[in-house]
Amino acid sequence: MIFKIAKTELLLNIMTFKFAVGTIVCVVLMAVFMPVLVNDYQQRLNDYNRNVIANDAILRSVKVYKNITPTVYRRPSVLSVFSEGLEKRLGNSTKIEYESVPQINMAITADNPFLSIFPSLDVSLIFKIVLSLLVLLFAYDVISGEREQGTLKLIMSSSLPRYHFLLGKIIAGLITLALPVTIAFIIGLLILEFSPMVDLTGSDWARIGLIYIGSLVFISAMYNVGLLFSALAKESAVSLMLALLFWVVSVIVIPNASVRFAAHIRSLQSRVKIESEIESSIENLKEIEGPKVRQQIVGLTRGGASMGKGAFGRIYVGLIDRSEVEFRMKMYTLGDYFSIKCADKTWEIENGYLNDLLRQKELAENVSRISPISLYGNVMSAISGSDFAGFQSFIDGAKTYRNQVFEYIRTKTDNLTSPSYFTACTEEEMREYEERRNKVNNALDEAEKKKAWEAFVKWVKDTIARQPALGLHDLPRFNYQSSVLSGLRRAALDLGLLMFINVLFLALSFIAFVRYDVRSN
Amino acid sequence: MIRNIIGKEILNNLLSLRFILSLLLIISLFATGGFMFVGKHWQESNDYWRDTNRNLSSLREHTNHLYELVTFRQVVWRRPKPLSICAEGFENTLPDRFSFDPFTWDLPEVRSRSNFLLPHFSDIDWVFTISLIVSFVALLLTYDSICGEKLSGTLRLMLAGSIPRHKILLGKYFGAMLTVGIPLLIGLLISLIIVVFYRVVEIDTGQCFKILAIVLLSLLYISIFVLSGIFISSRSHKSASSMVVLLLVWVGLVILIPSFGRIIAGTFNKIPARVDMESRVTEAIKQIRENPDKFGKGAGSYHSHEDNPPATAKYYDAQVDARNAIMDEYLQQMVDQAKTGRYYTCISPAIIYQRASEAIAGVGVHRIADLCQQIKRYQENLKEYIRSKDAEDSDSLHLLFQFPSDWVAENWHAISDKQVDFDNVPKFQERDLALGQSLKLAIWDIGLLALFNLVFFTASFVSFLRYDVR
Repeated sequence: MIFKIAKTELLLNIMTFKFAVGTIVCVVLMAVFMPVLVNDYQQRLNDYNRNVIANDAILRSVKVYKNITPTVYRRPSVLSVFSEGLEKRLGNSTKIEYESVPQINMAITADNPFLSIFPSLDVSLIFKIVLSLLVLLFAYDVISGEREQGTLKLIMSSSLPRYHFLLGKIIAGLITLALPVTIAFIIGLLILEFSPMVDLTGSDWARIGLIYIGSLVFISAMYNVGLLFSALAKESAVSLMLALLFWVVSVIVIPNASVRFAAHIRSLQSRVKIESEIESSIENLKEIEGPKVRQQIVGLTRGGASMGKGAFGRIYVGLIDRSEVEFRMKMYTLGDYFSIKCADKTWEIENGYLNDLLRQKELAENVSRISPISLYGNVMSAISGSDFAGFQSFIDGAKTYRNQVFEYIRTKTDNLTSPSYFTACTEEEMREYEERRNKVNNALDEAEKKKAWEAFVKWVKDTIARQPALGLHDLPRFNYQSSVLSGLRRAALDLGLLMFINVLFLALSFIAFVRYDVRSN
Repeated sequence: MIRNIIGKEILNNLLSLRFILSLLLIISLFATGGFMFVGKHWQESNDYWRDTNRNLSSLREHTNHLYELVTFRQVVWRRPKPLSICAEGFENTLPDRFSFDPFTWDLPEVRSRSNFLLPHFSDIDWVFTISLIVSFVALLLTYDSICGEKLSGTLRLMLAGSIPRHKILLGKYFGAMLTVGIPLLIGLLISLIIVVFYRVVEIDTGQCFKILAIVLLSLLYISIFVLSGIFISSRSHKSASSMVVLLLVWVGLVILIPSFGRIIAGTFNKIPARVDMESRVTEAIKQIRENPDKFGKGAGSYHSHEDNPPATAKYYDAQVDARNAIMDEYLQQMVDQAKTGRYYTCISPAIIYQRASEAIAGVGVHRIADLCQQIKRYQENLKEYIRSKDAEDSDSLHLLFQFPSDWVAENWHAISDKQVDFDNVPKFQERDLALGQSLKLAIWDIGLLALFNLVFFTASFVSFLRYDVR
């Protein structure tokens, strides 16, 4: 009997105006959104590819180990078309250097701060807003509508148990609603799959599958909510009002108010204060470390050195006197250790600030979990990898890579004791550099001195230009992976809550329906 | 007769569940918004005055010699506005820190307490509540205004009398407007009472008029949704289908179309990346530096036997001009890009309403752009002041330019080294636009909202005249 009811209901549903309009709107929106979002993704991917190639090219031209300061980039996630999350708001790159520890940061790339007046756009918007509305429009009159028409009285006059009727309605409703979701998904995926530059891997397909399942759980949760309103109200107009007000509160009021509430309750420190804190702790470090450094380099013999333009906008020692080597070595090694200390100190303070931001964000998220729509949004961004944890794993990867690069430099330079750490100058070049400089110094008259100086300058320029790059073929490559499983783990809580809403509202609707007065006026 | 219909409509609505629920929702949002505004404004004002006083005390420290004013870099902050209770204009995520010296300025930065990990939402200001919630409530109250009466058979009865159709329509319209107006006005009053009670802001007469203008604008906006509700209701014969269509129209106009703003802005008005702009600046300066002799022998050199102050002044002026030209252009491009997004999405009344209220309240993108212009004018005033003070010192070379180093400032005597009176030094102060100027900015948007009203009114009038009441 359940299936008979489900079949009749399904056929009735499919013939309705709201189903036709809802499905067409979902399909049209997907057909409009997807190409726009894919195009945006392609642009970001292009930028990413260009940056990676440029960075590799510069890396190949590095001449001294000290200058290995590449930038690593986070590949834009193709699934960001489903859920934008933090994709465009957080920095997609970080520099690997002594002076800073990779840290999650605001995107400072090409983005125009004035564009923050616009809300984000992604596929989840169609489901979160249009579909959830459609679901409630289907569910609001499931029971109260039948009562108004008088058909509920007829059905209940037979021997049919009430839960059969309810289950039949639910099955029909869910199948009806799964149709536009599935059609929209198929259209979206076809557009995505056949777009140039988009390469969906096995892991992406698994994630898309999870997003699809998550979407079904979400519409089922919303359907059960609508069902409860329908079972609580005697008239469909009342249940419609309740459903719509619930919707507007879930879609607009809760997500927005939770953010404002969190910002209000957990106030942040001002950036000015954080920056002055960093500045003063660096000053402190300088006061402590400065004398130690001076003590170690005082008395070391000085000679001369000529600098060359190095990779990543840095300079390096192109040519150097042998007598100067020890001084420079000490200076650079101590300087870099000092930079690492400063970077660690800065990171410590910045990390404290970031934790404040995170606590505020978590509070906002927890409050917004009252709304099933926020829960669904969280599921989508966790599975798509565009949530905070997705970025954190990139930054963790960058931190590991930073250590690998430092280790590589240490191995290659005998723990920073080889001159190749800071100079590309060979033994012969050192000798010749000294000889040529002496020639300038020992010139007898001004004319000879000028001539010798010009020859010296030209030789320095040519020699520095000729110096070979390190190649760095064995430098570890940056690699980071975010697995489907970790995404699922992060989505588990919200997915679980959505399922809980399903069960809770189903149970409540069941109780309400069992006590429902089926008599029409 | 119209009065009777209006009275009946209001009474009908007031007793309905939808009205009571909407009333509660709207009032609680206005009250929450009011309390949040009080807390936020208090904190922002504290921050603002602390940072502004810090800037002023640094400025005071740089008045020992006139030339110090030339090299001193000021940092000014965006002043929290009392009218952001009405329209906050997404200022949480807009730049708020402006740093400059008399010659150059940096691109404004976002340094407030905003959290970049949180979604970019506006505050719960009036515009938020009205554009999203009150407009929705307007639909809930009007979706069955015509077809509902038809279904219950009362429309036929009413038209059987001698009442002309347009009177029924007007009665319905004013009835719905007054019904929406009640929670709206109660909410606005509560919000204002909270703000006044906590005394975090002082609202002067000009601001009172601006608030009044925003309230009128809000009524104009809400009227669009009331009219569209009546229109769709008079086009359909079942209230359920009228609701479906109205909801889709609302979702499209108020939520989906505004979401396209960023993508549209990026597609129709692509601007170079910030790094590209910075490398353009570097390149322009490099070109000038490659050929310093163009400005006279010894231009650009200091602390050497070739020093030529007038030529060096020209040389650095050229660099400043080159930098400023590129920066001005880039700032304009950024602002234009955001405006493009708004421009193309203004088929949505929500966007038009948002833009108009921002203009009247003096917040948002336009305000930031205007603030940058005010800073440029202040730079000129400051330079004018330095010149006038410098003219009093006969020992000075009277060469006002961006000094490349402190050494030049201290040794060349390009500008007087006499002490200046801090009280006479011009200080930067953001100026608000007068009501007239604000309205002038919003005039097109007000016109557009009126046009929407007219279109929907005509449409509902025509549909209702042809409506089959059977």
